[in-house]
Amino acid sequence: MSDTSTPDTTSPAASADALLVVDGIGLRFGGVQAITDVTFSVNRGELFAVIGPNGAGKTSIFNCINGVYRPQQGSIRLDGVEIVGMHSRETAEMGVARTFQNLGLFGNLDIVDNLMLGRHHLMKTGFLSGAVWWGRAKREEIANRAKVEEIIDLLELGNFRRKPVGMLPYGIQKRIELGRCLAMEPRLLLLDEPVAGMNLEETEDMARYIIEVRSNLDMTMIMVEHDMHVVMDLADRVMAVDFGVRLATGTPEEVQQDQRVIDAYLGKAS
Amino acid sequence: MARQSPYLITNYGKDLRLFGSSWKRAGLLLLAALFVVLPLQLDDFWLSLLATVGVYAIGAVGLNLLTGYAGQVSLGHAFFFGVGAYCAAWFGGGNAVGTRDEILFLDLPMIVWLPLAGLIGAALGALVGPVALRLSGQYLAIVSIGLLFVGDWILLGWVSATNGSQGLRIAAEPSIGPVNFSDLNIFGSAFSPEQGEFWFVWTLVALVALLAKNIVRSRPGRALQAIRDRDVAAEIIGVNPARAKIGVFALSSGIAAVAGGIYGMIVVRTITPEIFTGFGGLVTSITFIAIIIVGGISTISGAIVGSLVVVTLRQVTSRFVDLLPFLKQTPNDDGLMLVGQFNLIVFGLLIIIFLLAEPLGLIALWRRVTTYFKAWPFSY
Repeated sequence: MSDTSTPDTTSPAASADALLVVDGIGLRFGGVQAITDVTFSVNRGELFAVIGPNGAGKTSIFNCINGVYRPQQGSIRLDGVEIVGMHSRETAEMGVARTFQNLGLFGNLDIVDNLMLGRHHLMKTGFLSGAVWWGRAKREEIANRAKVEEIIDLLELGNFRRKPVGMLPYGIQKRIELGRCLAMEPRLLLLDEPVAGMNLEETEDMARYIIEVRSNLDMTMIMVEHDMHVVMDLADRVMAVDFGVRLATGTPEEVQQDQRVIDAYLGKAS
Repeated sequence: MARQSPYLITNYGKDLRLFGSSWKRAGLLLLAALFVVLPLQLDDFWLSLLATVGVYAIGAVGLNLLTGYAGQVSLGHAFFFGVGAYCAAWFGGGNAVGTRDEILFLDLPMIVWLPLAGLIGAALGALVGPVALRLSGQYLAIVSIGLLFVGDWILLGWVSATNGSQGLRIAAEPSIGPVNFSDLNIFGSAFSPEQGEFWFVWTLVALVALLAKNIVRSRPGRALQAIRDRDVAAEIIGVNPARAKIGVFALSSGIAAVAGGIYGMIVVRTITPEIFTGFGGLVTSITFIAIIIVGGISTISGAIVGSLVVVTLRQVTSRFVDLLPFLKQTPNDDGLMLVGQFNLIVFGLLIIIFLLAEPLGLIALWRRVTTYFKAWPFSY
């Protein structure tokens, strides 16, 4: 393994309260080493941020956690269950939800349908019982609609309930995507640049919703974000990565002071 | 107790109603009235035309589930339509055109052979479904054309079952138990076959439309739309694309086969491979695509409205061919082109015009008009 990685202060075995343990994962695309021996763990109820310059491998780490990529080395355990090798559909059923950097909403559907789709894996109706409608399908639809409406209330999306989401402003769409993740009733929420491309007001709104989700739903979250104000204000712990290698893990203050992180962002004085 | 406004939706059950507003309920009542009255008022030409419209509407509902809701472009719909028609002959009773008589025809009642035709169509559709896991868009469309030519080869080659290019004559009757819709006799008053068949076909249209609507407003239908809009995101939230795609291929092919069975039994009575496969099949498939584009992509009612426009246009030009001097009924007549060729040009133009001007079809136009009046006197 590469020597550039530092000894870990938060070793996987250290915390019994860890929900997610990522242990020495490595991901390679042909000759490109995207992630090298990255290790971290996320505790229950924690907001863990991953930062790093462009191309550092932040989104690749997300893609490993929710089964889009399959790391060649290492293991990822959610509540003790190995999830490397699982399909992204299976990790969704395990309770991993994620938002996308450039939105992954269903543009022609309205907010209610987008959020109901978040509950797809919690529902059972198939083609046959759906076609009959009366009975189970309708009961299930009403029960899940009630859950979806709670999220619509929490995120204050009620004004746009029946609009196709593709027609709504970007900031609202980001919020809908957060809502769709919450509808999945996840154990672990992955937020990929939740405030990217937002103006100051939208950023503050989003930060407020993230705080609200944390306090109301006691959600464990990992956030990839470039906006350092948001990261430093919201995160409990931060991990900095560069070129697929972990530079430092710690509280926001510690990571801010770390010489390797400063070098990675600003370049080394020669 | 608080007084409730009749216009307020106070629970989710009410919000999920198909005919929630009094306007919609009035519309439903009007349609029901037309259903009863039309056969008593119209002559047989218009009634058999409307029966044909209904048959195409059923098939188009199936195609709209596949192409409109799930986003899988298929030109192979006519093949499954044909599967149903041949099933009608094989299982519902029939005989070979010409001298061949060794073909085995069962004489099952319609209540058995029509669902059976649907199941066989669905099974064949499910076999095609996995192809859609690998291909999408224009690639899938090309592959589905291949289906039409494989079908042509089978229907022409498998003479011992299909009688080749000479085709089969269907003897099945639209009867359920003692009630034969082609020979309807209620309380001593006899109805013409066209009247009974109108009621039969449009009852089925309503049934299929209701089932399809129920699917698209519940969990499986939402999964189809998710896959159409963004397949990667759909999978990440837990939608199984294989199940959704194979399911919708089976469903849409099954509906096409049911429509094809009724088409064979009521509309043509004699079936040949050229209606369903090869180039003729391509024309039939494009007719279905024209129907859903004109009516409205990814709406159930659009399939019915589109069929009303497209099929009526087609039947009316063949009926009133004498009024259009540049058309001819048979190749030996005077005139610039055949009716069928003219119809193709019209369908092509309709597809182009609608895709340019109103890509979501007549239903979108209708929604715009109703929204305008709902918001009146405001403009938004």
